[in-house]
Amino acid sequence: MRIDSLILRTAVRLVLPLTLLFAIYAALKGHNGPGGGFIAGLITAVGLCTYRMAFGQRAFFRLLPTHPRWLVFAGLSVAVGVAVVPLLLGEPLLRSGSITLHLGGEGLHLVSAMAFDLGVLLVVVGVAIGMITRLGEELDP
Amino acid sequence: MTDNLLGLLVVIPLATAVASVALIRHRIPQRVLGLVSFGSMLVLALGWLSEIRDGDVLVSQMGGWPAPYGITLVFDSLSGLLLCAGLVVALGCYVHSFSMLDPVTERRYFHPLIQLLIVGVNQCFLTGDLFNLFVGFEIMLMASYGLLVIGGSRRQLGQAYKYLILNLIASTVFVVCAGLVYGMFGTLNLADLARIVDARVASGEGLPPGFVGVSVLLLFVFGAKGAFFPLWFWLPDTYHTCPVPVAALFSGLLTKVGVYAVARTFPLIFAVGEARDVVTPLLLVSAAVTMLLGVLGAVSQNNVRRILAVHVISQVGYMVFGLALMTTAGLAGALYYMVQHMVVKSSLFLCCGVMERHAGSDDLDRLGGLLKRDRFLGVAFFVAAMSLVGLPPLSGFFGKLVLVREGWADHWWLSVVALLTGLLTLVSMLKIWTKGFWLPPAEQAPPAPGRDGDTGSGDLRGAYAGIGFLVVVAVLIGLAAEPIYEIAFHAGEQLTDPSAYIRAVDPHGLIAAGGATGGGG
Repeated sequence: MRIDSLILRTAVRLVLPLTLLFAIYAALKGHNGPGGGFIAGLITAVGLCTYRMAFGQRAFFRLLPTHPRWLVFAGLSVAVGVAVVPLLLGEPLLRSGSITLHLGGEGLHLVSAMAFDLGVLLVVVGVAIGMITRLGEELDP
Repeated sequence: MTDNLLGLLVVIPLATAVASVALIRHRIPQRVLGLVSFGSMLVLALGWLSEIRDGDVLVSQMGGWPAPYGITLVFDSLSGLLLCAGLVVALGCYVHSFSMLDPVTERRYFHPLIQLLIVGVNQCFLTGDLFNLFVGFEIMLMASYGLLVIGGSRRQLGQAYKYLILNLIASTVFVVCAGLVYGMFGTLNLADLARIVDARVASGEGLPPGFVGVSVLLLFVFGAKGAFFPLWFWLPDTYHTCPVPVAALFSGLLTKVGVYAVARTFPLIFAVGEARDVVTPLLLVSAAVTMLLGVLGAVSQNNVRRILAVHVISQVGYMVFGLALMTTAGLAGALYYMVQHMVVKSSLFLCCGVMERHAGSDDLDRLGGLLKRDRFLGVAFFVAAMSLVGLPPLSGFFGKLVLVREGWADHWWLSVVALLTGLLTLVSMLKIWTKGFWLPPAEQAPPAPGRDGDTGSGDLRGAYAGIGFLVVVAVLIGLAAEPIYEIAFHAGEQLTDPSAYIRAVDPHGLIAAGGATGGGG
């Protein structure tokens, strides 16, 4: 379902980086506010899908590093890994650990839940893109 | 007692599923991984079960968040027994599938899906929180949709569609109910809910308006998943079309999770106070009709798989019977019945798979003379069938004994129905036995085409191993009825008097301090 339009292509070139940037913002903000890996994954997927709409399937797969299946695989592995680490330390499953880096100013607060969120993000992107390309294959092989 | 390793029962199958996806093109490593996963979970669960045989409760708070705020995993007598039985069934069916699935079907994500099914089932059994029960249900259902259409014939898709629609409706109602409960009480933690409901009834404040309605809606949800009358219509066709190991696994696990959800939530929360007067008659009538109609339906079929599938419904009736009594012994009887039924029913389905392989069909008119051809199968089927009927040294007898005796005082008519159902069960099982095993083979009928997705190698070692394992466990459940009943009675006590459960989930008394007003909303 490629739409051949110069306006769309130009717009997408501008919008895609902004969308991805906003996704990163949403993912990071999710620790203490509305946002998080799930919604960031959806935003990323929407951005990528508009790119696919403007430039077609082939250009889209050049952009994507790997098959969507492996995105899901990587995401689940990261999430499960982060969930299990506390068990090895005698803590309950999914227990979040945190460190604060002092780089001047207020310091950077890093939590292991962020890695879990990254896993969620990858799963959502993989599932959404996988489903949409699968449906799209029937429209334009 | 806290035991943080409880989470392993969810993590092990999940990690195995992820690893299986990476190995999707290699059959043998996937099988080894699956066996390791089921084996290690079974060992862990049995270890914990022996730890709690005196009525202790093991608890783990996810992420370290205390009870009413975080997600709690609870391993008590009820969930422990069912977890062990479920894992035994899963292991048996899994081994059986090695010789029953053709390589193409097996490569279509069979291994990851079966692990994900176990993730859902284990989570349902372990969770101490109504919303997570929903999540567990959904994970289990997602995986079951996948397993139902594996092989992808037109007939399978048609049946899966029916199953999908019914479960979508039930799941939607479930979420709505969870929202309503949260609005009424401000919490979804089962221990917290039990405490609030109990306190409100005791203080004469009464339950919020609409509570009875939510109870009945939840009964609809769990009844649809558990195939209670009148919500059982999806079951026979669904089990008829999918590959045998999958049908066996479903018959052992899916409906039982619905029954478990009733056993877990109703005596604690949703059948308290005025709700009990509404729910109990519903359960009693449903139990009687489910038992009797189920077995009559089974007797009328002429097809091994259909007899067994319709028969699942009748067996669910016995469990509902025990739940409806809402007494310690009644609940214990229902729990023991569930445990033995899961193992016995699955082994019968697995036997049916081998029968189909021998005769090319499961139509009773085409079967015959199997006893001479395959003595092991005949013996295994006979033992399992007699357990189901309830012949004394075998497990079904002890299940029925406690239920019938407990029901006799108040609901003698239900006990009579239960006994009659037992008799008709004998008729239906003898039908398969005589026509399939005892009588000489029927006239040479043209060989029927193999069932979809069921045409694996001719090597039946895996199938025999699976059947043998389940039948041996079924016999052991009968022989070890006393220790199992001890645990089941602890479960019954914990359900009728939830104070031990609440104390284990919330050792610091946070629930009592924080939610004393009961939310309001």
